[in-house]
Amino acid sequence: MAMEAASTGKKERRSGSLQRTDVRAGWGLLTPAGIVILAVTIFPILYSLFMSFNNIQLTTNGFQFTFTGLQNYKDVYSAPLFWHSVGFTIYYSVITVAVELFLGLLIALAIQNVERLKSLSIVVMLIPWALITVISAQMWGYIYNGVYGVLNAILQGLHIIHTQVNWLGQPFTAVVSLMIADIWKTTPFVVIILLSGLQMIPKDYYEAALIDGANAWQSFWNVTFPQLRGSIALAGLFRILQAFGIFDLPFVLTQGGPGTTTTSLAMLGEETLFTNLHFGLGAAVAISTVILILGACLIFLSAFRGMVGEEAQ
Amino acid sequence: MTKPLSKRIFGYVVLIAFLVVILLPFYWMFVSSFEPNTDISSYPPAYFPKHWTFQHYAEAFGQFHFGRYILNSVIVSVVSTFIVLAFSSMAGFAIARLPMRGKRPMLIFLLIISVFPPLVVITPLYMLLRDVGWLDSYQALIIPYTAFNLPFAIWILRNYFLQVPGALFEAAKIDGSSVFTAFWRIFLPLTTPGLFTAAVFTFVACWTEFFMSLVFNPSNTMRTIPVGIALFSGQYTVPYGTIFAGSVVSIVPIVLLVIIFRRWIVSGLTQGAVKG
Repeated sequence: MAMEAASTGKKERRSGSLQRTDVRAGWGLLTPAGIVILAVTIFPILYSLFMSFNNIQLTTNGFQFTFTGLQNYKDVYSAPLFWHSVGFTIYYSVITVAVELFLGLLIALAIQNVERLKSLSIVVMLIPWALITVISAQMWGYIYNGVYGVLNAILQGLHIIHTQVNWLGQPFTAVVSLMIADIWKTTPFVVIILLSGLQMIPKDYYEAALIDGANAWQSFWNVTFPQLRGSIALAGLFRILQAFGIFDLPFVLTQGGPGTTTTSLAMLGEETLFTNLHFGLGAAVAISTVILILGACLIFLSAFRGMVGEEAQ
Repeated sequence: MTKPLSKRIFGYVVLIAFLVVILLPFYWMFVSSFEPNTDISSYPPAYFPKHWTFQHYAEAFGQFHFGRYILNSVIVSVVSTFIVLAFSSMAGFAIARLPMRGKRPMLIFLLIISVFPPLVVITPLYMLLRDVGWLDSYQALIIPYTAFNLPFAIWILRNYFLQVPGALFEAAKIDGSSVFTAFWRIFLPLTTPGLFTAAVFTFVACWTEFFMSLVFNPSNTMRTIPVGIALFSGQYTVPYGTIFAGSVVSIVPIVLLVIIFRRWIVSGLTQGAVKG
C-alpha cells in the first residue's frame, strides 16, 4: 500500500498534459464497469430503500406506490416470524461458521506437512466449493430421507439408532442436518485458504520458537495463530457473508420447515416478495437483512482484532 | 526440516479421512443415478448397485429437457464471464496504473457493494425486467451476473496489474503508444493468470447462482441447471434418479474446470489474505 502511494505521488509530479490524457483514459476505462455496477447494484439498493417506505400494489396498470413512512418496518418488526427468522439466521450462521473455521483449522494443521497427494487433494477440496448448492441439497435430502435414506441404514448398522429417523421432519434434527450439509460443502474451502496461509509463514519463525524452547502449543499460539489471522479473518468474512444470506440449501432441503423452523431471512424475504407479493414489506425485510449482515461483519472483524491484536504486536 | 514419522502418518490419515468424507456423498449420488427406481427407494439400500440402468439419463434429457437447462447455463455463464473480463480488466488497469483521484474510496466502495445480498436488489430488478419485458430471457441473468461479479474481478485484476512494473507503462508511452495500446498490447498479455482467476470465479458464481435465476427465469425453457434441479419434482415422490442423472452431468464440467484451473483458483482465494 505504501509503495503504491509513493508511485502515484511520483506520477503526479509529471508534466500536466500527459497526466490529463492518462486521467481521461482512466475514467474512460472505468466507465463500462461503473455504469453496470451503478445501474444493477447501487440503483436497486437505493430503490429497495425507497420501496420499503411505500405500500406497493401490483395492479393492471403496473405497480402503484403509496408513501407510508415507517409502516412497513412497524409491520415487519411486529411479526413473530420475522424475529424467528432473524434468530434462526443468526444462530445458524454463527454455529456453522464457527464449526467450519475450527474444523478447517484443525484439518489444515494436521495435513500441512503432507507432501504427496497435494494436487489430488486440492482438486477434491475445490469440487464442493464449485458445486451447485442445489445439487448438494438434493444429495443430502436423499441421504437424510426418513424412509430409504442411507444415513438411517448406516446408523442402524452401527446400532446407534434402532428405528428410522425422519431427520428433516423434526425441528432439532432438521437444523442440525442443514448445518452438516453446509459444513460439508464449505469446510474444504476454509481448509484451502488456511493451508495457503500456513505455507506463507516463514519456517525460521518455528525454528526460532524451537530454539527458545517452545512446546507445540506455545509455537502454535505464538507463531502460527497470529501469522494466520489474516487468512482466518478472510475465510470467516467470506463465510459470514454467505451464511447470513442462506437461501438455496433450506429452499431445497427443508423448504423452511418443519413449520417455519428453518426459514432464513432470505427465504422470508423471497416469500414475502414473490409468493405473497408484498413488495413494500419484502423491501423492509431486505433492508433489515443488509443491516444485520453489515453488523455481523463489523462485529466479527472487531472481535477478531481484539482477540489476537495484542498477541501479534 | 523433516517432520517425525508419527506426525506425517497422522497427517495422511486425517487427509485421507477428509477426502473420503468429501467424496462419499458424490459416490452415493453417482451410483444412485444408475439404479432403477425400485433400488433407489429400497431399504436398507445396497451400498453397491445390483442393477445398472441408463433410464434416468434418458428421462433427464427426454422428458425433463435437461439439455435445454445445460444450454441456458452455458450461454448465461460464458457470456457473463466474457463481459466481466472485458470490463474488469479495463477498470482494474485504470485503478492500478493510472493517476486518478479517489482510487482508495473506489476500492472500499467495491468491497462494500459485494457485501450486499441479492435479496436487496432482486425486487427492483424484477420490476424493471418485468416493465421492459425481459423476464425469462438470457439478458435477465447476464446483466445482474455481470454486475455482481465485477467487484471481485476488478480487485483481483488490479492486484495483478500492480505486479507488472510501472516502468513498462512509462516505456510504452515514451515509444508513443496510447494508454489503450499499452493496456491491450503490454499489460493484458502479462496478466493472463489474473484473467484466468477472475474468469473461473465468475464462471463458477454464474454456474451455481440460484436465487436470481429462480425469480427472473421461471419458465421451463429458460431455466438454468440449479433451478431445473431444484424444481424437478414428480407428482408424489421426488424423482431422485433423474435429479442425480442431471446432477452428475452438470458436475463434469466443474470437475474439469477445477482440474485445469486449480492453481489459479487457489491463488484467487488467497489474494485477499495477501493484499487485504
